[in-house]
Amino acid sequence: MTARRAAKTSPSTDGPAPTPLEAWEVFRQEKDGDPMRHGGSVMAPDAELATHYAREMFGRRQESVRLWIVRRSDVVDLHDPDLLQPPLDRSFKKPGGYVMRDKLAAARAASGQEKPKASSGRWRRGAPPRTSERSES
Amino acid sequence: MAYPTDAGNPQNVDGLDELLRSMADDEFVIGFSDSEWTGIAPLLEEDIAMSSLAQDELGHAQALYGLLAEVTGAADVDTLAYDREPADYRHARLLDHGRGDWAMTIARRYLYETADAVRLGALAGGSWAPLADLVGKLVREERYHLMHVGLWLDRLATTDGEPRDRLIAALDVLGPDSGTVFTPLRGEAALLDAGILAQSMAELEREWRSGLDPVFDRLGLPIPPPTRESARGRTDHGAAFGWLHGEFTAVRRTDPGATW
Repeated sequence: MTARRAAKTSPSTDGPAPTPLEAWEVFRQEKDGDPMRHGGSVMAPDAELATHYAREMFGRRQESVRLWIVRRSDVVDLHDPDLLQPPLDRSFKKPGGYVMRDKLAAARAASGQEKPKASSGRWRRGAPPRTSERSES
Repeated sequence: MAYPTDAGNPQNVDGLDELLRSMADDEFVIGFSDSEWTGIAPLLEEDIAMSSLAQDELGHAQALYGLLAEVTGAADVDTLAYDREPADYRHARLLDHGRGDWAMTIARRYLYETADAVRLGALAGGSWAPLADLVGKLVREERYHLMHVGLWLDRLATTDGEPRDRLIAALDVLGPDSGTVFTPLRGEAALLDAGILAQSMAELEREWRSGLDPVFDRLGLPIPPPTRESARGRTDHGAAFGWLHGEFTAVRRTDPGATW
């Protein structure tokens, strides 16, 4: 495992056992007011060196105004489909109400009608508002 | 022009070329020498960090050679960096010690960075605006260099066994060359008169040592002894620099005068 690279040092070392490397996640802000976005990770034995390496990796070319450096093992990881992707239809929880696309498609299929073509004009009447379809309530 | 009339044009001050040459050569030599760690540093992240520091120094050298070209009328920065004989370089003898092991690199860089910080302090706000402006920028970048090398000095010094032993061995080797960044410059009096340099090199060396002593005391490291042959601290470069010079001019010498 890469996190234990440091353990493989010269056997002639008679000092204390080397501190193992661990992963630190780095979040960066490109300019004031921007959200912190995940930039990547660095390997370091402690917060001080992690800060230096994060600066080298994600800040030395003036590409960031702020970095957050977080020990990966301190991150609370939630990755559970039962909690995050519940299987039943949740479209009624969205601000746009029910998503009609599937029902319309079924109704068209039943009546034998074709889907109306998108007009070449500026407004596409059939397109649902994208923002409301993505956001949740 | 904002130049003080009593000093005339600081660009013509005797000693300015020597000052710029010594600073530029210091940065160029340590930058090139530390770049030898690229690909072989102890950790991948440290490899990138040390390479980045080395690159910063080459960038500083480039800016300083730019000012030197302005003062001396040299053709360009590359001519100054690559086309001189080894005897014409004016870097401190401290930097003639090769990169050695990791402890040697850290010891050499710590001694150099702390000395450079004191020197830059005496140049900030000087009367020749192009240099004073550049120094303002260099100080901001060197702050991180000092943080990084200070961190390593601390770790090596406080980790008993091989790390501490190797650090002390390196400091013993560097010992009498440690203070050579403060070798008196030809034309130093004129630089002081013109207000380009705020304090003499001798005063700056005392300031540097008074800052270094408590750190080395705390860490139980050997205090650098007085400088050996202090008047010749920037000349008489030995065989180690001859080798380094051969390395950094190797590509350029394959086709002298070529346009790259």
